[in-house]
Amino acid sequence: MRVTLQLILKRMAAAALTLLLVSIIIFTITSLLPGDAAQAALGQNATAAAVAALRARLGLDQPVLWRYLHWLGGLLTGHPGYSYSNGLPVSAIISKRLPQSLLLAAATTVVSVPFALTLGILAAMYRGSWLDRALSTTTLAMVAVPEFLVATAGVLIFAVKLQWLSALTFVLDHPTPLEFLRSYALPVLSLCFVVTAQMARMTRAAVIDQLSQPYAEMAALKGVGSARVVLTHALPNAVGPIANAIALSLSYLLGGTIIVETIFDYPGLARLMVDAVSYRDMPLLQACAMIFLAAYLGLVLIADICAIVSNPKLRRP
Amino acid sequence: MNSPATPKARSELAASPGWLSPARWRRRRNALPASGRIGLALVLFWALLALLGPWVIPHPPGAVVSTTVFAPMSLRFPLGTDYLGRDMLSRILIGARYTVGLALAAAVAASATGTVLGLLAAISGRWVDELLSRLLDALICIPSMIFALIMVAVFGSSLPILLLTAALGYVAGAFRIARSLAVNLSVSDYVEAARVRGEGRLHIACVEILPNMVHPMLADFGLRFMFIVLMLSGLSFLGLGVQPPAADLGSLIRENLSGLGDGAAAVLLPAIAVATLTIGVNLLIDGLADHGRPEGGGGKA
Amino acid sequence: MKYHQPRDAIRQAADLKRRQVLHGFAAAGALAATGRFGLAGAETPRKGGRIRVSSVSSSIADTLDPAKGALSTDYARHYMIYSGLTQFDSRLSAQPGLAVTIDSGDATLWTVKLRQGVEFHDGKPLMPEDVVYTLSRLKDPATGSQVLAIASQFADVRATGPREVQIRLAAPNVDLPVILADSHFLIIQNGTTDFRTGIGTGPYRCVDFNPGVRTLGRRNPNYWKPGKPYLEEIELIGISDESSRVNAMLAGDVQLINGVNPRSLQRIRSSSGHTIHETQSGQYTDLIMRQDASPTDSPEFVLAMKHLLDRDEILQAVFLGHAVLGNDQPVPPSSRYYCPDIPQRRYDPDRARFLLRKAGLPRTRLAVFASPAAEYSVDIATLLQESAMHAGLDLHVDRVPPDGYWSNCWMKHRLTFGNINPRPTVDMLFSLFFRSNSPWNESGWKNSRFDALLLASRSERDEARRKEMYWEMQRLVHDCGGVGIPAFINFIDASDRRLRGYFPIPIGGLMGYNFAEYVWLDE
Repeated sequence: MRVTLQLILKRMAAAALTLLLVSIIIFTITSLLPGDAAQAALGQNATAAAVAALRARLGLDQPVLWRYLHWLGGLLTGHPGYSYSNGLPVSAIISKRLPQSLLLAAATTVVSVPFALTLGILAAMYRGSWLDRALSTTTLAMVAVPEFLVATAGVLIFAVKLQWLSALTFVLDHPTPLEFLRSYALPVLSLCFVVTAQMARMTRAAVIDQLSQPYAEMAALKGVGSARVVLTHALPNAVGPIANAIALSLSYLLGGTIIVETIFDYPGLARLMVDAVSYRDMPLLQACAMIFLAAYLGLVLIADICAIVSNPKLRRP
Repeated sequence: MNSPATPKARSELAASPGWLSPARWRRRRNALPASGRIGLALVLFWALLALLGPWVIPHPPGAVVSTTVFAPMSLRFPLGTDYLGRDMLSRILIGARYTVGLALAAAVAASATGTVLGLLAAISGRWVDELLSRLLDALICIPSMIFALIMVAVFGSSLPILLLTAALGYVAGAFRIARSLAVNLSVSDYVEAARVRGEGRLHIACVEILPNMVHPMLADFGLRFMFIVLMLSGLSFLGLGVQPPAADLGSLIRENLSGLGDGAAAVLLPAIAVATLTIGVNLLIDGLADHGRPEGGGGKA
Repeated sequence: MKYHQPRDAIRQAADLKRRQVLHGFAAAGALAATGRFGLAGAETPRKGGRIRVSSVSSSIADTLDPAKGALSTDYARHYMIYSGLTQFDSRLSAQPGLAVTIDSGDATLWTVKLRQGVEFHDGKPLMPEDVVYTLSRLKDPATGSQVLAIASQFADVRATGPREVQIRLAAPNVDLPVILADSHFLIIQNGTTDFRTGIGTGPYRCVDFNPGVRTLGRRNPNYWKPGKPYLEEIELIGISDESSRVNAMLAGDVQLINGVNPRSLQRIRSSSGHTIHETQSGQYTDLIMRQDASPTDSPEFVLAMKHLLDRDEILQAVFLGHAVLGNDQPVPPSSRYYCPDIPQRRYDPDRARFLLRKAGLPRTRLAVFASPAAEYSVDIATLLQESAMHAGLDLHVDRVPPDGYWSNCWMKHRLTFGNINPRPTVDMLFSLFFRSNSPWNESGWKNSRFDALLLASRSERDEARRKEMYWEMQRLVHDCGGVGIPAFINFIDASDRRLRGYFPIPIGGLMGYNFAEYVWLDE
């Protein structure tokens, strides 16, 4: 328990440093971007006078460093500022989008993690067999097809042709399970194609690695059945690396879903961040990056805690 | 696609030292498993097409040569025509060149840089390690598509920028793996022995640690290559990839996507091309890993 | 292929000639009272029902402020919630809206009489002050208005009676009533600064507005056109990916879409439950040759490039025939001011080669910038590159991502592509994109004869003489302007077959963004 607590505290400190680094990186690249929020808002119709006026109104005529410090000060006092592109508080915008992203990520996790674990463990149990090779080639093939093709083909077959599922993913207020399924099945499926392969391959590698350890070979020699060796001996010891692989794959589900969000018109965070870049909306862009980083660090932390809890050896300081 | 990375499974594999001794490697060369041979064939096939492409194309890849868009396969257009009436065979041949060249270069750059930085972090002091780790963590949290969007907005879209973007987007993952491998190796007995012998840090890194990292990094390279191919096609979906009239395989799928409803060859063939190429690379690497392993483990990282 | 022909031509032209006083609305009264100008069918619209409509884009910058509308989804949203002083009909003439009359003696001082009994969604009555506030803020640079340049001609706007507003222009402009029908001039409440909710006088009340996600409108029972609108609820979304948009409609998730690619038409046609609405328009994508840089300022080069645009191939390969041949001048054949006797310019690589040699440009390597931001420009540039090769010109297509194209690339390099949406009047088109000192004079073309004609035409009240001026201006642009216009692009919408009441207003897709008021859902 103590070790876990120490780990968490140490990670928090590192996270704070990383957050600061990210905000500086984002800030630097947004100031490198050609044009600014005023120009982006006025678009093709921008005249110099109109841009100058809008720039003054948004405070973009202030020095960049001052704007950054102002933003940082706001963040530290719990106020991430207002969006440049529509004047709404960033917190209000994020609070509408974040739950949607989390919902999609959660649905994908629920489907993909058990699936990937099963595939990985099966492949490890029958390693070297035709089943292993078939599973491994299938998972590779799943990830080898661009996700926009998978998603579009899914829409064409299940939404347009068969009309079983919805072509768009709507935000429903109080969905029945069937409505939810109709709406979320296709994007979840498309995302599973992307994340399952890596998790399955890592699971297989981790389990096989444990199987080559002396204790597993010992158990096998003693005549313990292959399935039992895997499930009762190898798997518990492989939790650490597997959790790590899952964490990394899942961190993709918040920020990397831009293509799925575009195709299914889903109001998630990735599209918000693309908008923020297009409209040079620095406060919004910063906020999105902070969330992705926090999610990433949180997942890795959870994975490490899983590893420690499952493996007593790691509890030694 | 966010940086695929991972770490511990491989680090433990690598920690069993000596399983990749050159002697064993050589002895088992002829024993490449069937899947590995298929992989090798696919990779050679695409490498050959990419090399010979410009000399065998039947039509200029950019020219509209048919008045029929999405024409089916025929003698004149062996793979049909695309959404503007251009010859698909010529476009795939040239597209393969872009995909193989660009993605390969980016994957090599990402893996090499990741390995060097990971090694550096492992053998240098705590501060260098901490700084590198935090910096690359920061890089991971910017989704690679959005990173690419920013890069292209700042520097414009060109092949060098795409290469740099893809490499940077995946260097963080490679770094994580390389670092954990190197950290594990650096506490192993033979590295300790080298230290006791009084070898310099550079010598230890290059002679003792690095050779043992090569194979796991190579295995990781296969997936990384695949993700880069996919990222490039994802970028073309957002209009940020290889710019028309040039096209890599991913952009070919994207620009002909409107033909998917009619099952046009113009969209299916490049997809098959991408799949066979990436699967081929991974089968080959898996095969190498298999026969690189010691006693009949058959496992791969 | 199905073209919608305008059914009843209401022309203010004839009247303008006859009368002393300029009336903004010509044959207005009777037709406007029925509220169905432009609509032919004798069917009785059914009330009720709910539709979802998808436009081509939606982002965090979506707005409820009509002044800031920048994209088609914004225009559609604004017409749904607000009303203008005037409205477009299917000929792009002005019809009465919140104004019952709009008259002027000299085309400079205009008197607007407001409709009685109009209520905002919050129950407040429409007052002259609302109109004064709306129009005045458009010319205030601090508003961030998209029509700052046009609104700056409002020298003075004031309330002159309980239902009367006077607009004094800086210079005569007979087109004011048409300009006021544009979505940026829709009327908002006096003093509005917060646009989180939209309070207008339009056919639908804004129930939910979530930028980048959706706008939900519910029927305004107190709409000033009796009996309208018909639907109970409209949800407006924006799907940027074209194939996703078409698929969503075919799957029954949305009932009306715009921006359909000609390549998708076959699939829509084969569905029995859907209809295609195609409208000839004045939208064009043009090749811009800057007249202030070498070698694009050479008249021979400009002419050579115009001859290198293989219009027939572009029409076939890029638009699959869903466009109208362009002739390097911006007035489309569907306009009543179109000059029919300018000979059509054709693809002629030999002549182009000759001209290029004459200009001393053999074997020059030039970059041409295209972007998905300027619709179809990448495809046109690709074809141009091929045909340029036949004339010995080495063009290199530099495709730029949409992000930042308009601010950083368009008009900034020697050879770029633009994309110009239809404008309701020829005067607006010429003033914005061809007048010497206009900020959006795309090619930086300077022609004093053209400028003089433009100025004279604004106060010319004789229709025939005005037409002659417009004809001469078209010839000038065709002969020596710095842009090549290969084609006018048709607007293609598609809808569920049960959706009725659709007629084209050729200012844009979705019935010129005005669908909300007119469409209804059949059983």
